[in-house]
Amino acid sequence: MDEKLITLNNLKIFAEELLKANYTLILQDKQGIRWEKISNSDELHISSKLKPTKASFKEFVFSKTEPIFYFNNKNDGVELIDSNLSAEKMVFFGSKPCDAKSINIMSKVFNWDYKDNFFNTKAENSIVIGMLCEYRDEFCFCTSVNLSPVSSDGSDLFLIPTDENNFAIRIVTEKGREFIQPFLKLFAEGNPETTDQIFKKINLPEKGFESEVIRSWIGNNFEHKYFERAGEICLGCGQCAFVCPVCHCFDIVDEECGYSCGRRMKNWDACQFSLFTLHGSGHNPRHNQTQRYRQRISHKFKYYVDKFDEILCTGCGRCSRGCPVGIDIGQIAKEVHSLAANKV
Amino acid sequence: MSEEKFQPKIVAFVCNWCTYTGADLAGTSRLKYQPNVRLIRLPCTGRIDPVFIIKAFEKGADGVLVSGCHPGDCHYNLGNLHARRRFILFSELMNYVGIDSSRLHFSWVSASEGKKWVDVINEVIDTVREVGPFKKYQKINKEFVLHE
Amino acid sequence: MNELREKAKELLLNNTVKLIIGYANGNGHNRTYPFIARNAADANRLVFNEYCVNNLAVYLTRKEFKGKGIIGIVAKGCDVKAIIQLIQENQINKDEVYIIGMNCNGAVNQLDNSFEKTTLAQKCINCTVRTPALYHALIGTTKDIEEPADTLGEKIKEVEKLNADSRWDFWEAQFEKCIKCYACRQVCPLCYCEQCIVDKTVPRWIESSAHTRGNFSWNIIRAFHLSGRCIGCGECERVCPMDIPLSMLNRKMSIIAKKEFDYSAGVSLDSPTLVGTYNMKDRQDFIK
Ligand code: SF4
Ligand code: SF4
Ligand code: SF4
Ligand code: SF4
Ligand code: SF4
Repeated sequence: MDEKLITLNNLKIFAEELLKANYTLILQDKQGIRWEKISNSDELHISSKLKPTKASFKEFVFSKTEPIFYFNNKNDGVELIDSNLSAEKMVFFGSKPCDAKSINIMSKVFNWDYKDNFFNTKAENSIVIGMLCEYRDEFCFCTSVNLSPVSSDGSDLFLIPTDENNFAIRIVTEKGREFIQPFLKLFAEGNPETTDQIFKKINLPEKGFESEVIRSWIGNNFEHKYFERAGEICLGCGQCAFVCPVCHCFDIVDEECGYSCGRRMKNWDACQFSLFTLHGSGHNPRHNQTQRYRQRISHKFKYYVDKFDEILCTGCGRCSRGCPVGIDIGQIAKEVHSLAANKV
Repeated sequence: MSEEKFQPKIVAFVCNWCTYTGADLAGTSRLKYQPNVRLIRLPCTGRIDPVFIIKAFEKGADGVLVSGCHPGDCHYNLGNLHARRRFILFSELMNYVGIDSSRLHFSWVSASEGKKWVDVINEVIDTVREVGPFKKYQKINKEFVLHE
Repeated sequence: MNELREKAKELLLNNTVKLIIGYANGNGHNRTYPFIARNAADANRLVFNEYCVNNLAVYLTRKEFKGKGIIGIVAKGCDVKAIIQLIQENQINKDEVYIIGMNCNGAVNQLDNSFEKTTLAQKCINCTVRTPALYHALIGTTKDIEEPADTLGEKIKEVEKLNADSRWDFWEAQFEKCIKCYACRQVCPLCYCEQCIVDKTVPRWIESSAHTRGNFSWNIIRAFHLSGRCIGCGECERVCPMDIPLSMLNRKMSIIAKKEFDYSAGVSLDSPTLVGTYNMKDRQDFIK
């Protein structure tokens, strides 16, 4: 693996050069709410100790709302007009491993049957500069879902702070290598062995459960009353799905955008909404919150794994930090694990 | 020739029994007023949900007028009294978020007040003309609009 | 704590209530979560402390609980206001709720579940209901607490001072952030509509897309629908993942209700609701 070194100062120059080369730099904002575009390298604020923002960066690759096409009523019929695909070149700077992995995970569902050009174009135009993570709280559980604070899985480049003012940067993908090529003068040659030493010293969140155990337990315990515990207090909002870096459900609605013209919008949707499964007939196959909560857990730890061999969760803990009623998905997985261990 | 005057778009939500009839009277009496207003007739001011007002702005209105019967004259006795209370709250809220009384107007115009209707509507149009096009709302209306 | 658990056990064992909606400690975390106690063992898990921020009244109108017999609820003064408002609006039957009123010494300010700071929550500043206004049993005692200045009131005044365009800009920047997760609605004890106006599609009055225009109408209409009904528990603002200062809207509407109609929500069980009535003397200086 190739590794380079860069000083904080040069990192700023790197950011400046990127801005000049028409890249959009996207970083965690200072308030800890969401990811923001910066227009000036002075705003570059990255740290391995930052708390994950409340919302992930997924809105830049999978918009909270976007038109997929327009329809125009003409005298000789209805004209359909494709909406433009964004050509913006985006760089997610200093992403935590639990964010960095999100594009990879979502691209499986967006390319499984229909190839979603809206997602794909943005994903192709994205560079993820991941960063080693030293934030910990009781909601983090990346190590239980095959990730870790030192994982570069999903990153194109991976930053490792070596001291206050210096970083090592790993070139993880070919895309990353090409991207960094024009700027190599800002970097010095590094040695992967030194950073491996740093990795060893990083303390990891305790592994709370085996995802494979959860997967098989859910398969055999679909009707288990355990789900009622979360189901009866869950309020059915979309907070958990909308802040999640990998939840990807959407709804399609038509909206007028002029007197004879309309647009078809693709909007975030969430399986916790009661309307999510409501049929036109009035029948709702998931008619209570327990079933809806079960769907959330099952999709993340079973269905997605069965279909795409990937856990639909990066262990970032966002959904749990923000849940109005404190439902903690990591805790639930742990409890399911112990239920499974006790064979109930 | 002087610069062309800005022609504001005004949506007026009026009740069937008083203001609409009043506006009709203005017409049959051949009273003239500026043509910048689109009337939407509803049974009663009590039927005018504030969401209609927002919809009017979404559709590009520069100003909105809500008009109905004077207190005591309501065809349904109390509709306008309930509406009055609701619009005290709503106009304060709109003002707080930046849509003030230059764009959102209210009036009582009875079936016999053709002349008052003309005065009210001219005043509303002039006030809105003065503050100009509702650029702030137009900006959010333009998001995701198809540009050819 | 013991007092609460004993009371809960008694109520459950002698079948006064079917279940008790209360708080329990979450595993390993500092804070507490809503918890449904159905038996004596459950009752022993009930807790009450400054981390009990949730307004549990939200559960009273949910179909899992409503009309299923007498429900016990552990409620602070502000939660009781919501219960009173729900009774006033005929959403719950007064005889179907058993209020275990908690004398309250303030809740902590909490922006998400992983907080370290324990300052007093905004809603607790100048609270007048630290002893609930309505209860069937009263637990605990109140003590003097130190209250910081009311910054919410100040923030509202600052926005009021701006001109119309700047007020618009302020709110536009806030509403742009909204992701339409509806956590504000779901957590609100008074947002109990079976079908919310934002979910109605024929016609669709409020666009469900989370663009600024759709967000603007959503947030405005929600604030309007809560006028004279919001009891100021601050839950919506607490749970908003995008940190939109929703209390600045809701508090503003309560101030107007008080000023114009001398009306406060969550106070009276049987007087007419604010917009459910009218007064011949209501102001009409804004009507031409
Ligand atoms: S955030 Fe919490 S309350 Fe809301 S739907 Fe998710 S689990 Fe339920
Ligand atoms: S389910 Fe929760 S912990 Fe897992 S990736 Fe989504 S937000 Fe993060
Ligand atoms: S608002 Fe009053 S009753 Fe409610 S938590 Fe704060 S101090 Fe307690
Ligand atoms: S609007 Fe907000 S502050 Fe008011 S009652 Fe509902 S959740 Fe509480
Ligand atoms: S909680 Fe916040 S982001 Fe979610 S819908 Fe309400 S205002 Fe919007």
